[in-house]
Amino acid sequence: MKHSLANMLRPSGILGVIAQILLLVWLFMTMYPIVYLFFTSLKTDSRILNSPFSIPLSPVIENYAAVILGGRTNQSVMIYMMNSFIVTGGALLVLLAASSLAGYALARGKFPGNQAAQQLFLLALAVPAHVLLIPIYFFFGDLGLRNSQIGMILLYATLGLPFTTILMRAYFVSFPKELEEAARLDGCSMFGVFWRVVLPVSRGALASMVIINIGWIWSELFFALALLDKLDVRTLPLAIAAYRPDAMATETVIGELFAIMSLAVLPLLIFYLVFQRQIRKGMTAGAIK
Amino acid sequence: MVGRPTGSANFQLNSTASFQLSTSSQIVSDGKFSQSATSGAMQKRAAVRERAVWYLFLAPAILLLALFMAVPLYKALELSMYEWKGLLPRAWVGLDNFVELFQDKYFWNALRNTIFFAVAATVGTVGLGLFLALAISRRVPGHGLYRFAFYLPVMLPNVVAAALWTRILEPNFGLLNTFLATIGLGFLAQPWLASIDLSLVSIIAVVVWHYAGFPMIVLLAAIEGISEDLHHAATLDGASEWNRLRYLIVPMIWPVLVSISVVQIIFSLKVFDIVWIMTKGGPADSSSVLGTYLYKRAFEQQEFGYASAVAVAMFAVIFTVTYLYYRLTKVNAVEY
Repeated sequence: MKHSLANMLRPSGILGVIAQILLLVWLFMTMYPIVYLFFTSLKTDSRILNSPFSIPLSPVIENYAAVILGGRTNQSVMIYMMNSFIVTGGALLVLLAASSLAGYALARGKFPGNQAAQQLFLLALAVPAHVLLIPIYFFFGDLGLRNSQIGMILLYATLGLPFTTILMRAYFVSFPKELEEAARLDGCSMFGVFWRVVLPVSRGALASMVIINIGWIWSELFFALALLDKLDVRTLPLAIAAYRPDAMATETVIGELFAIMSLAVLPLLIFYLVFQRQIRKGMTAGAIK
Repeated sequence: MVGRPTGSANFQLNSTASFQLSTSSQIVSDGKFSQSATSGAMQKRAAVRERAVWYLFLAPAILLLALFMAVPLYKALELSMYEWKGLLPRAWVGLDNFVELFQDKYFWNALRNTIFFAVAATVGTVGLGLFLALAISRRVPGHGLYRFAFYLPVMLPNVVAAALWTRILEPNFGLLNTFLATIGLGFLAQPWLASIDLSLVSIIAVVVWHYAGFPMIVLLAAIEGISEDLHHAATLDGASEWNRLRYLIVPMIWPVLVSISVVQIIFSLKVFDIVWIMTKGGPADSSSVLGTYLYKRAFEQQEFGYASAVAVAMFAVIFTVTYLYYRLTKVNAVEY
């Protein structure tokens, strides 16, 4: 924006002052709980209860040591974290592969049923995942996919598919055809065109799809709670839920809970710090025209 | 589950694509000869083959959707017509579960709470998001920091936001009540999540804290998309702050405002994680929502048939709202 416009838009008078004060209040409201989260993870439980606002000037790492050794969840947080990485990474990979292939076919393909297929993806978008829980629970039981990371990967990929495919189709529609036609005439197969010509220049769109999906997969609880009852396959959200942070209880292991939460937040926080512009742009693109 | 915003997208081509575009047009004209040499029959066979390849491209997605969505959806409808408790054999009962559902006050309570939650959370997040977007778009000092900070909570996993705020709202040692007591407002302290009157409202407040950044960035992008000329014209005309908002900004961003609100409603109707972690629907079902009610009937009371009926009812509500949204925005095979 032009500098003159920036000056012009800058509010003046009482309205501007009030807006500025409210913004500062909200800044405190958003930042403080997150700072509090990390501070608390570095304090002993008695310090947490007796001086909740204090800054941990002499931080203790006991909480982290405890959760890495096992803590109250009976298993090292590193295993939960590894499981979360495997499931999130695997689901994103399957999701990106299936949705970009399908999105490309819907955008480019001239075949009977293309319109119907597009309607199908829109309808699938309207299906709430909750209705699938009970049948999936028994279905996975029959297939031996309960407590299986492959099962979770395929399930999460499916839940993300309708929306991601619709977005990928939209992206490919706006993608110039000439490039692909040229490659076809050079003797490239259809898949070759897709793999060697289209995908490499679509990295930006694929990154947007990762941005849109990474958060919900990393923190998915509803299905994980029902489908993962064996300790060694559990994901991080289950570790947090295992601490049962009841509203009235004075937990004796608050520090451990905060250490686990800090570790669950950290990967997403780093991701946000590095890619904040792309993330905000990607989420906007994903929302509405 | 985190909300996956519904709707359409508008991507910009990246510069590499448009650069390569100009070089490729030459190759197209060179290649025309070979194309004209192919016979009609060969072309036909090629077209059939091409069609088959498109179906192959679609196959993985369709297969996943069929296996993990269509079949379970059908099974859910089927299960909702059975009585199936724990390890007992299941018995076909027709629509009995739905008749029971109709008279189930816990179900109505959960439905009422869910709708209240969805409406209040949407008004809260979109309202606050709009205010923040308007304020930041005025290029106030520090707007870069605000933009960064206000979106930060959205990055927290649901479970973390929920567990963190459960501790903050804890009645005896929690941050909020301790803070109120410290500044001499101790009489305002409440057992936030343990109170029948306040539990749902407290959860809604946490959701607003967690998600307001999302409508904010979407609305901010819409506001910043309004052309500078319009702002200039408004300034030259001497339009007041209020009139500029009323006659310029709001009409320009109206479609985005409507879409983001509906997206928030649909997403809020599916709430589960945050309620499960914070109250499990309690105390005394005061914060029970469809998601938690369904989960309890299925996995705590082992009534899989009845829980399926709850799930089907939930499906009907959300599917209807989403479908109305499609009709409203005339989304049809997503045109751009």
